[in-house]
Parts: sequence; C-alpha cells; structure tokens
Amino acid sequence: MFKKILYSLLIGAAAIMAAHAAPVNEGIINNSFYPYAKGSPTASGIKVGMVINAENVDSVKDYLDPATYLFVKNGDTEIHVGKTTNFALHDSYVEATRKFSGSTKLGENPGQIEGSKAGRPFPQEPSLDDPRAGEKLAWNFKNGYNWGDSAAIQPFYWKYRDMNSGKVERTVKFNFHFLNYTHRTQQEPFPAITPNPSGLFRGIYVQVLEPFDIKNTQLLIQRFEDDLKRDNAYLYLGFQRRVRRLSTGQVTDAFLGSDIMIEDFEGYNGRISDMSWAYKGTKTLLLPMFNHNELTLDSETHQDDDGYQVVAFGGKGGCFPNVTWQLRKVYVLESDPIDPDHPVSKREHYIDAQTFTIPRNITYDRKGDMWKSWLIGQAHPDHHLPKNKGTGVAIDDAFSMIDIQADHCTTGQFKGIVDPELTPTSKMTVQNLRASGS
Amino acid sequence: MFKSIFDYRKLIFKGGAIGLIFGSSVTAFSEDIQWAGFIENASYYRDNVGLSKFRNTVQAEFSKSLSSDSWSNVSIHGTLRGTYDGVYDLNDDEFGKDAAEDYLGQNWHSRGAATTIIPGPNTTLLSAGVPFPCDNDPLLCHNLNGYMDEKESDAKFPEFNDQLDFVRELYIRADKYLGNGDVLSLNVGKQQVVWGKTDLFRVLDVINPVDYSRHNIYDELEDIRIPQWMIKAEWRMGASQTFDDSNLSLVWNVDKFRPSNLGTCGQSYRILDAGCFFSSYINLADLGAPYTSNVPIIHDVEEPNWSLGNTQFGMKWEGVYGDATFSVNALHYRQQLPSLHFRPHPVAGLAAAGLPAPDGVFDIVFPRVTLLGGAVDYYSMDMDATWRIELAYSEGEEMPRDTDGHKETDMVRYVIGYDKNLVLPFLQTNSAFLISAQVFGEHILDHEIDMPNDEDNWIATFLFKGFYKNNRLSPQLLMAHDFAAKSSVVSPSISWIPDNHWTFNLALNIKTGGEEEFGWSVAGTETFEPLARFTNGPIGVANNEDELQLTIRYSF
Repeated sequence: MFKKILYSLLIGAAAIMAAHAAPVNEGIINNSFYPYAKGSPTASGIKVGMVINAENVDSVKDYLDPATYLFVKNGDTEIHVGKTTNFALHDSYVEATRKFSGSTKLGENPGQIEGSKAGRPFPQEPSLDDPRAGEKLAWNFKNGYNWGDSAAIQPFYWKYRDMNSGKVERTVKFNFHFLNYTHRTQQEPFPAITPNPSGLFRGIYVQVLEPFDIKNTQLLIQRFEDDLKRDNAYLYLGFQRRVRRLSTGQVTDAFLGSDIMIEDFEGYNGRISDMSWAYKGTKTLLLPMFNHNELTLDSETHQDDDGYQVVAFGGKGGCFPNVTWQLRKVYVLESDPIDPDHPVSKREHYIDAQTFTIPRNITYDRKGDMWKSWLIGQAHPDHHLPKNKGTGVAIDDAFSMIDIQADHCTTGQFKGIVDPELTPTSKMTVQNLRASGS
Repeated sequence: MFKSIFDYRKLIFKGGAIGLIFGSSVTAFSEDIQWAGFIENASYYRDNVGLSKFRNTVQAEFSKSLSSDSWSNVSIHGTLRGTYDGVYDLNDDEFGKDAAEDYLGQNWHSRGAATTIIPGPNTTLLSAGVPFPCDNDPLLCHNLNGYMDEKESDAKFPEFNDQLDFVRELYIRADKYLGNGDVLSLNVGKQQVVWGKTDLFRVLDVINPVDYSRHNIYDELEDIRIPQWMIKAEWRMGASQTFDDSNLSLVWNVDKFRPSNLGTCGQSYRILDAGCFFSSYINLADLGAPYTSNVPIIHDVEEPNWSLGNTQFGMKWEGVYGDATFSVNALHYRQQLPSLHFRPHPVAGLAAAGLPAPDGVFDIVFPRVTLLGGAVDYYSMDMDATWRIELAYSEGEEMPRDTDGHKETDMVRYVIGYDKNLVLPFLQTNSAFLISAQVFGEHILDHEIDMPNDEDNWIATFLFKGFYKNNRLSPQLLMAHDFAAKSSVVSPSISWIPDNHWTFNLALNIKTGGEEEFGWSVAGTETFEPLARFTNGPIGVANNEDELQLTIRYSF
C-alpha cells in the first residue's frame, strides 16, 4: 500500500517536473561535459612533450591567446605541452544540469535568469547568431562548479615581483575560503543552505596571515542570488580591530597592493549585470591545465606535514608558473564594463569549455591597450592532494597576473583543499571577522 | 620599578584563573607557537622645543593552538611590548623630572591673570606644575598616589610597572559548538574589547581606557588602549529567518579599574595639560591668605579598590539585516576621565568665600556610568558609499564646572561617518583612495553656563589616503577641527614599505587656531585658569606642538 502511494507521488512529481522543464538532450549534456569523449583535440605543429619558445612560436600562434604569444615571442617564457586530460566535473553537477537546465532561461534584462537552481544553466553549444550567447556563457561561469560547493586555499602565497629585476617585493600569505549558499550539488545540504534571509549566493572569505603590517586583514564578500543587487563586502583591518564596509569602488582597486582587483578573482568576480558580454567564438587553444603531482615543484616557499609543495615559478622576473599546457576546447568571451568610469575597457576571457573555469584572461585599459595578463593554472583533482581526488573540481593551483605596462606581476601559489569542514557557514559572517581578528 | 618586572605573581594567579575556567579539558599543545612582531623607532621633532619623542618599541605577538576534548578552536594569544623613550635623556631641558616650566600652561598659552607674578608677594596665584612629582615633591606624590604619579623612569619605560603592562594581551579563546549549530565563544584574559567604529575619538569604544601619554589622540587606538583582564562570552547565532547574522556578547571586566592616562607633568604628551594642573599649587600661603602652606590642587585620588562590586560589565547584540550591520550596546562602567570634586574650607565663613580646604582643592573621583547606545553601518548602493552612525546615551558622568567643581549630567554622544573608496585616475594610480569623514557630536543634557564644554559641540575629521607602487607608497592626509575650540590639526604623512620587513613613515602634525589666551574662567569672573583648558580641547591645548615625525619599523 505504502509502495503504491509512493509510486503515485513519484509519478505526480515527475508530471509536475515535466510540465515545467523540458528535458535536456543527452547529446547536449555529453557535448558540454565530456567534449573529449571521442578524442583529444589536435593542432597542426603541436605535439605532447614539445616546448614552444621564441623560435617556433609563430608556427603555433593560432593556438595561443595573444598575450601568451607575446610573452613566448619575447622570450619571457616557454610553453611545455602536456596531454589533454579529462577534467570531468562531479556527477552531481552534471545530474543537476540534466534536472534544471531545461527550464532555465534568461530574463528580460542582463543579470536576470529564471529557473537556474543548480548545475550548468546553459549547456547548449553557444551560437554566434545568438545575441545573448555571451551572457549565457557568463552565467555558466558564475553558476559553475568552480571550487565545488565549498573549498579552502590554505595557505595561499602571493608574491609581488618586479618583472625586470626579478625582485620579490612582498610576500603575502593568505587563507581563502569559498562557500556556495545556493546551487549546491555535492556537499550537504543541497541545493541550498538555509536559513538564508538575504538570499546570498556565495561567500568569499580572505584572511591575511603574513606579513605583520597587514596581518589579520580580512575580507568578506557576500554575493546575492539576485544579480542586480551589489555585493556586500566587509574589510577587517587588524591594526584597527574593526570591520569596515567596502564600497564597490574597492572592487576594482589593486587588492592589498597586488596587481589583482577583487573583480579579477577566479577570472571574473562580479555581477553579470556589471558587464556587456559577447561570445567571440570557439577555438582550440593551449591552456595551463596539468597534473600537479607530475610537476617539478617549489621546495622552498612552503613545507607542511602533508609533504605538499606548491607550484614553482620561472621565466622573466619569476612571473610564469612552471606548468604544462594542454590543448583544450575554449570559448572566447568578451566583457565590457557598463560603468564608463571603470578602469578596464574590456576583458577577454578564454573559458575552458569542459570545466567553465577561466585559465586565461586578458585585460585592456581604458585606451584599449593590452594591460594585464591573468593566468589561473588548473590542476586535475585526482593528481593533487589525496583529499581532492574524486571531487571533480578543477583545482586553481597557480596564478600569475602580469601588468604588461608596468613590467610588474603578482604570482600565486596555492594549496587548494576541497573539504566542507574547512568552510562552515560561520566562516562567512561579519562576526567571524571580529572573532578571528581579535 | 624593576621589582615589578619580575613580579609574576599576579600574572600566574590570573593565568591560573583562565585554566580553571576551561578546566582540565585543555590537554596539550597541538602545534608550534606562531610569533610575529616588530622593532620600531619613533623620533619626533617639535617646533621650538626640539626632540619630543625618541620612542623605541619592541613588540612580539604569539599564538598557539591547544587541543581540547570538549572545546574547539582553543588557542592562546599574547602580545608583549616594551618601550624605551629616550627623549627624557636626550632632551632633558624640555622633558623629564628637571624640566620645570616658568608658569602653568607655558607650553600652550602666554601668562594670564592666574600665572602672572604679583608684585609684593612676588609669586603667582597658581604655581607651575611640578614635573614628575614623585621624583620632586613627596606631598604631591602622596596626594596623587595611584594616578598620574609616574616617575620619570616610568615614562622612559612605560610598560614596566606594577600592572605588568609589558604583557599587553594574554588570553585564551575557545569555541563550543552547540547542538543547534550556534557557537558559544569565550575569550578570557587580558585583552582589548573593541566596540564602535570610529577613528581618533570614541563613542562606544569605551571598554578599555586609553593611554594618551603615548601620542595624544594620534596613535592607533589599537596601540593606546590599555588592555584589561576580562571575560568575553559570545553566543553566535548565525543567520535566522530575519537576520543574516546575529550575535550576543557579554563582557565582564574583572580587572581593577584603571582610568585613562592623560600624561604626567614632565612628559612630552599630556593631553589637555591636565598632568601639570594636577601637580600644581594655589599659592595661598605665599599670597598672605590665612593658610600656613600653599594648597595642592589635588588632595586625593579616589581610585576604587578591586571588589566584585567595582567590576564593570556590558552587553552587545549585533547583527546584519540586509544592507545594514547594527549593534545595540549597554555598558556599566566607570568614567575614565577624572572628575574634580571641590573641597571647601572647613571654616564655614572661608568656605562661603569660595576658599578651598588647606590640604587640597580637589579630590579626583571616577564615577559610575551607565551607557546605552547602538551603531549602524549602512551601505548605500546608490551612493556606493558606507554610512556609519554611532549613538551613546550615558547616565552618571560628571562634567567640570567653575563654581562647584563638577556636576553630574546625562550625556549624548554620536558620530556620523561616511566612507567611500574611489579610484581617481587623474592621481595616476589604479588603487582606490579611501575617503573617510566623521562628525562627532556631544550634547550635555544638564548643561550649566559655568561648564567649560559647550552644551553642544562637534569635532569633524577627514581622512584621505591613497596608494601607489603596489600599496607600498601611501600618502595620507588627516585633518580634524574642533568647532567650539576653533582649533584644527592637519597631519599629512607618507609611508614607504620597501619590502616585507621595513616600514618608513614621515609625517607632519600641525595644529592651528584655538583660543590661545583665555578669560581665566568659563564664567568669566573667577581666576581659576585650569578649566579653560577643557574649553580649548585636546587639539587647542596642543597648539604649540607642531611636529615633524619619522617612524621606522622592522617587522618580523
């Protein structure tokens, strides 16, 4: 009897779902999440194991983004080519895409979306004929699996470097924490943490451990599910022991004197509605994606009981991570700030089609000149810390933000850990800033 | 003094109390001690005076995680600080036990009626303040016992005293996760507890007293709050159906009451010049009045002894609601600035003539105060700026007045602050400038005409701070204006951080305005100069203290 009732309820629920959501074609799912199922991409002149340098770069120019091409051409760095690997996202995220993407659509205005509960909102292949294709890609990134439902980077070393002299001017040691309140698929509770009275979408918490003059500086960014609402951002200054609200002017500020804006975090860290988005095509490009455990690592910067070592850097000024690059299917997305006073005229984002991470970004200044090159190296979770194995999270593992005009860079060395215990909701409160700072 | 350096008994006793609170559950150290700190020299040069500060500081901070069976995130934190200020050795003509002034208030005004030599008796109504009275005048030292009675050696080494101030902070933190997801958090030990969100002046941030002798109002409060032995308990409720964050905090200051340090006469920084006033005499015997000896201004300091009834406590509820963060505060504490209680002559007729008791004019007391207040931060999306509001209503404070020495009155204090971060491309940097403006207001509810403070007064501050060279070069402009005193301070500075270790900061601190000469009383009929210093406020009284300041710090 109970079984009968249960079946009836399930059938009813399925009928309700069917009434609201068109099922997503499995071919679309496979194309979106497993683009290399039928084979790795190939490129003329590029072979696994080769080194691309100033001498041979012109022959493979089409498979590099413009900034990387310039660096290699100038002899600032070399590209070591690795094998294309399958960065499969967690099954729960794929399943959520099956479940919800069929009923997801853009709202009337940029920044508005309907029906996106979890998973990739728009798994369909983008079309140059679709005037809002760029916006859909931006949503796929924003609601992407990025760090999964929560993760921590601890520790996280940022080095401010003079690119000409190679001098490390500052080393800042951080802890970073990320927590999704909504669009959760893998860590309980899902799809959302409750209560959530203000409708938070995501929290980012940053704590400075060193050096002394900025020790205990903490940043908390709360992003809302409603994209039209501006982030709440709080800064705790250790030497003042108090929390300051941040105006968004600081989002485009050089964060703690680095070459990075808060808006740059993870490739783009802002509202969809702050930008005009344009899809510029799909390419096969080399991206810095690799197996961490197979690299020659930096044995000096970090030592711990796990025996973990961070990615090493080399090249001009020590501004380039010593990682391998692999051919990937890439969506080229351009974002232009709506705000005419924004310090950036546009950004080019080179999005990895499988993971929807953004390993390469190029920023242009207000005059339209190339200003910054932003590299976020992605490590495969199964070849990283044992704890990350099977998480399906492409691990941000090394970054380099190069200010091309100033010959200056900020490099980042990560110990990224996908572990919900490291980022409880209590970490994302204003009170935590005060408590952790005192 | 050096006896106190080695007097660990109090520390051990208080440390034992911390252990009792957490019981035997703290079982073992779980990781290495983390150390950080700095060595710093601050050399300040004062116009027409010479060296005014040659302060050498060593500060070390440590933290260590502890493992516990029943508590989480257990850790011990400490901050140790030692200072030697060489100005008392290098400029002993101006500062120190031998640096007498010609007349009271010489460093901030010219002679007036009470400080001009009267022919005949060849003396002044008020004597000059005695520098470091415990080095020079046993009677004054006795009267000031317990407050403003530092010796020159104490000013040279301010942390090495009976209160063991070289241990700036030493506390244990621990969290207990409750079944419903809430967190109970305890901080027990010597610590700073910060309420409020203001720079330079305080409205709600009044739990710890402040050491103004270090650098008047201009050092970070972090460095001049006087840490106290306290128990802070927080019940963190997190998000609810209404609030994004909610937290209830109880603070119990179990330490012996300590007032704010205003600076002893002879020190280079003595806010309102109060220290010299407290160590001066009315020369009534020299003037031929019916006194056998001159009358010390201060007869006694009624600093409360430690007792359970004399401890201080407060409660705060804070949270986040939409775009606003808020707090509601209540505190039962003691006034940290001295209140002067006039002591009339015991002979009724002389008392009626307004003459003071022969053994001292005033007693210093620190009355009980109850404060209720609150704060709101609101981010305005339209203005892309943050507004800060703090409000405090206090009951039990005492304000000075000419005729009766003091009067208890309710007070309202408030601050409205505006913060905006703005990238200004024409200033050739991509870093946002911090623009912060504040207006402090004070309203005396039971105001009297003979009070030195206006019924309403405002002090405005403005901060403009920019960043260049990856934040390693930072110019700053700090300004403040006291409307009643008509006095202002302008302090431009620039800091340079060449690497992770070194910091150089060069600053000017220029004061202007203020009433440099006074009618010798607020009421205009008496000759008691001292109260006029309150009229002139902390900026106006420092009107001759223009300084060039260089600070060099090595952090580790």
